[in-house]
Amino acid sequence: MSSSDAPPPEQMAVVLTENSADKLLPFATLVSGAVALGFRVDVLASYWGLVAFRKTATASPPSVSPGHGEDGARLESALKAPRAPSWKSILEMAKSIGELHIYACSQSMEILGLSKDELDPLVEGVTGVATFIDRTRSASVSYFI
Amino acid sequence: MSETETPPAPVSAAPPRMVVDARGSWCPGPLMELVRVIKDEPVGTEFELLSSDEGSRKDIPMWLEKAHHQLIEVRPESGFDRFIVRKTHD
Repeated sequence: MSSSDAPPPEQMAVVLTENSADKLLPFATLVSGAVALGFRVDVLASYWGLVAFRKTATASPPSVSPGHGEDGARLESALKAPRAPSWKSILEMAKSIGELHIYACSQSMEILGLSKDELDPLVEGVTGVATFIDRTRSASVSYFI
Repeated sequence: MSETETPPAPVSAAPPRMVVDARGSWCPGPLMELVRVIKDEPVGTEFELLSSDEGSRKDIPMWLEKAHHQLIEVRPESGFDRFIVRKTHD
């Protein structure tokens, strides 16, 4: 297959605002499924979604959001299973097989007093909303998580 | 016709299959494993992907069709499926 006549990849845009295990895992699953299918995926991590990428946060597994009783407990124990992948390792694998770009929302950086050095290397830069929208204007799929 | 001895035909042994054991990995882990090995290995390589994820039954054939690689066989086994796949192009 020659690359010159290949159409540009389909694009998916994701805004991540949460940091519980029950949001981060579906987020990583969606993103990696799209990357495996050949989509270019752009993620804007904002608020708690940005906090999730703090190096201190990625060092340990995220907690399950409260109020889910036995189901929540099942998820907690499933996450501790020997072959259970972490949401971060799923994203790293997605990045190794395709196009995944994660940006930090500049407003959240300022409000939360974060610096780029405090974030996991998966986050490749800090961006304003207009740049993110411009970058994803041709996305055929978009999610707000 | 000369009397020269014809060399024996080269034995075309089936290429060894690379086993990718993704059992226990959650959706879309098995698909990602397959995408990664197909990217890394040479054209003609055959793979046996083992997956216990139910989503793989549709995801794997769909991806192979879109990516134009060959699905040789899907063999259901106890508790998992074995996908036999061939990389057909770079």
